[in-house]
Amino acid sequence: MGPHDSSISAAAGSTSSSSSSSACSSSTKPPQPPDQMDHLLAGAGYKVRSNDLHQVAERLHRLETVMVKSNPLEISDLVNDAVHYNPADLASWVDSLLTELNTNPPVPVPTDLSDPHPNMNNMMYATNHAPHLQQVVAQPFEEDVSIQLVHVLMTCAEAVQRGDLSLAGLLIDDLQALLGRVNSGCGIGKVGSFFVDALSRRIVNSPENAAVHSDLSAYENEILYHHYYEACPYLKFAHFTANQAILEAFEGQDCVHVIDFNLMQGLQWPALIQALALRPGGPPLLRLTGIGPPSPDGRDSLREIGLKLAELARSVNVRFAFRGVAASRLDDVKPWMLQVSPKEAIAVNSIMQLHRLLGPNSSRGPPIDLVLDWIRDLNPRILMVVEQESNHNQPEFLDRFTEALYYYSTMFDSLDVCTAQPEKALAELYIQREICNVVCCEGLVRVERHEPLVRWRERLINAGFAPLHLGSNAFKQARMLLTLFSAEGYSVEENEGCLTLGWHSRPLIAASAWQAIPKPSPTMGPIIHP
Amino acid sequence: MAGSNEINANEAKKVVPLHTWILISNFKLAYNMLRRPDGTFNRELAEFLDRKVVANTVPVDGVYSFDVVDRTTSLLNRIYRCTSPENDSGHHSGAGVIELENPLSTTRIVPVIIFFHGGSFTHSSANSAIYDTFCRRLAALVEGVVVSVNYRRSPEHRYPCAYEDGWEALKWVHSRSWLSSGKDSKVHVYLAGDSSGGNIAHHVAHRAAVSGIEVLGNILLHPLFGGENRTESEKNLDGKYFVKLQDRDWYWRAFLPEGEDRDHPACNIFGPRGADLVGVNFPKSLVVVAGLDLVQDWQLAYVEGLKKAGQEVKLLFLKKATIGFYFLPNNEHFYTLMEEMKNFVNPSSSSSPPPPP
Repeated sequence: MGPHDSSISAAAGSTSSSSSSSACSSSTKPPQPPDQMDHLLAGAGYKVRSNDLHQVAERLHRLETVMVKSNPLEISDLVNDAVHYNPADLASWVDSLLTELNTNPPVPVPTDLSDPHPNMNNMMYATNHAPHLQQVVAQPFEEDVSIQLVHVLMTCAEAVQRGDLSLAGLLIDDLQALLGRVNSGCGIGKVGSFFVDALSRRIVNSPENAAVHSDLSAYENEILYHHYYEACPYLKFAHFTANQAILEAFEGQDCVHVIDFNLMQGLQWPALIQALALRPGGPPLLRLTGIGPPSPDGRDSLREIGLKLAELARSVNVRFAFRGVAASRLDDVKPWMLQVSPKEAIAVNSIMQLHRLLGPNSSRGPPIDLVLDWIRDLNPRILMVVEQESNHNQPEFLDRFTEALYYYSTMFDSLDVCTAQPEKALAELYIQREICNVVCCEGLVRVERHEPLVRWRERLINAGFAPLHLGSNAFKQARMLLTLFSAEGYSVEENEGCLTLGWHSRPLIAASAWQAIPKPSPTMGPIIHP
Repeated sequence: MAGSNEINANEAKKVVPLHTWILISNFKLAYNMLRRPDGTFNRELAEFLDRKVVANTVPVDGVYSFDVVDRTTSLLNRIYRCTSPENDSGHHSGAGVIELENPLSTTRIVPVIIFFHGGSFTHSSANSAIYDTFCRRLAALVEGVVVSVNYRRSPEHRYPCAYEDGWEALKWVHSRSWLSSGKDSKVHVYLAGDSSGGNIAHHVAHRAAVSGIEVLGNILLHPLFGGENRTESEKNLDGKYFVKLQDRDWYWRAFLPEGEDRDHPACNIFGPRGADLVGVNFPKSLVVVAGLDLVQDWQLAYVEGLKKAGQEVKLLFLKKATIGFYFLPNNEHFYTLMEEMKNFVNPSSSSSPPPPP
């Protein structure tokens, strides 16, 4: 069991611990270390340092006074034009509103996407107080057969973990029988069959055997990817949110360079090219470096995509240059291959790629550290990270299996609302391959090592990156994107400067933006650009 | 007028602890920005600002939670359960597999409280942090289950959507075998809610009563009622403790059918258009009134109305409490409330008549 977020447990907890106090104006809580987050407000979802409480109260009071004095139009403008960031940080949220409403000349829009109140201490909070919540949102399967199905799935997974493959094999037979009795068109029947299939593959084949598990050609892979892209909003959300953030990071820059960690079919880039074309003041020179696996069949698929994008760029008068970098693994990429120039503003774009680096260490050390290190050396204006919001990288097989069962059930549920075929069927196959990798594979071959946002935050902060908050405008636009999918169940949520997309109340994808903190030179301390 | 607002802010500060003042003031100011004069609501910004938490099958202080979506209605319910040897059957180590085969208990009665969160029909969700925290406390307090209903909100969904959703939730809860308990193997249901949630609880209870569906009790935490008349408390307390009368009016306009006034039976329970509860098998009620809530005269009228209709009701009047006093455990009203709710739901005390208020 993972450790819990201490602030939530304290707030949720025992009525016996605090003394009953009379209502009076001063706080009667036992004194807390001033640098700590106040645990009462943490239980309400706000991060306020204990020693900031009085200041926050005073600012709220001032904000109210100013709001009362302002005319309704001003308030309306405030609401419509102001971009709100990270509302969990109450102090800075109130400050930003006060700034907006004051009669001072408007603060010039920052040309990079920094937090309006860059504050090293904010970053320190994240480091010290990153919650280690093990959040598994269970999707209860209620009908009798479903309950049995989940039972036997768990028992089988447990047997696999213990190495009792003969028992596991028998249980697979039971599972097949149960599957015959459920509605295999939706719900547990659908996703359950994929998990049964994955378990049986694992029992039959050695988990380290790559050949058995990558049975599709690159071309077939792309077909599945494309249908997944159409059938549900997850990839579109990722691309859309990333492009928004990159656009803002590139404001005022004449030479920009996007490094895409997985070019695939380049579906993300037409929208960015068009947005840059329409930029007030005209488009910059755009360079795109697309990383992707080498094409086995003699095609240069990277170059093909590059050519198509170049054509599009030409048609909208955006000066564009493309470079493809073929690499089977991200940690095979060397920075010199990217040919960055010191004059350009760099955006690194990683859509569901970083988790692939969490596998076994190479001779050069942990692949993730290697890659984050050279990203930092590039000094990008923005590193965009989108990842699956789940922990499929736990050391114990059973834990991974359980978490994946619930994660992918939720994802399949969301797919249920898609009626277009063959988009839906092929999207399901795409997801099935992910499931297979999580369940069947180990070692180097297991690349779907998803970890949740809280862990990525820790990792990135430790690697020398500072968060760039995604604000209410990105949130609003993401919600508008969802209306295209006409399904009530999708939800975008704000999570301390990051955005998540989920199904009902379960986040499934998390998007976050980061800025590299330049490494300290040997003679001076780090120079932070606000 | 800056002057009177100064006075009001200082008054409020005198009676609530600092944390509460910060929390409720924050909501007040944020909500001011979300309500538009034309009656529309800035839902995007509201959702952005609302602090939400995910369900967590790993118990925290003895309570774990999970969400269930009712496929037929798309309604989400968040379930809170306590860990204990008898009702925690299939919990894998940290992996959170929910067992839904067994009743909560075959020997003792385990209360299931269906909770409707507040927010004047417009704000908040079942997964809002303040309500998640509150429901966890409630589940632990009664050593039972809390089902928090994510009902549809106004102005996008007006009357009677919230009541319909409440009714669906009640039926859903009653039909879950894994929520049943006791030797009689049935679901022992209570309804509860704060502010608009209290209003919803009343209407769902009423419908249950006339339909023959059992509800063992209602807990209404400063429930949202009103009427066309301006009462003394509304005049005296307008703007003094976080709430302005015009805000209350906005929310009623957003909830009630267009063109309706506040004497609509959804709002004014025992008013000129109110239903008659005489002879109705209405559950016993615990009505909690905050003495600094401007709506209190309507809540007190509700209590009187229940009594006149021969219904069992206990009034808990907390003279110096403001709205939202129960969000943080930092004041005496909070603890008084906890004690009262615990006794109310304790099956062994349900047969004795309530002490005089």
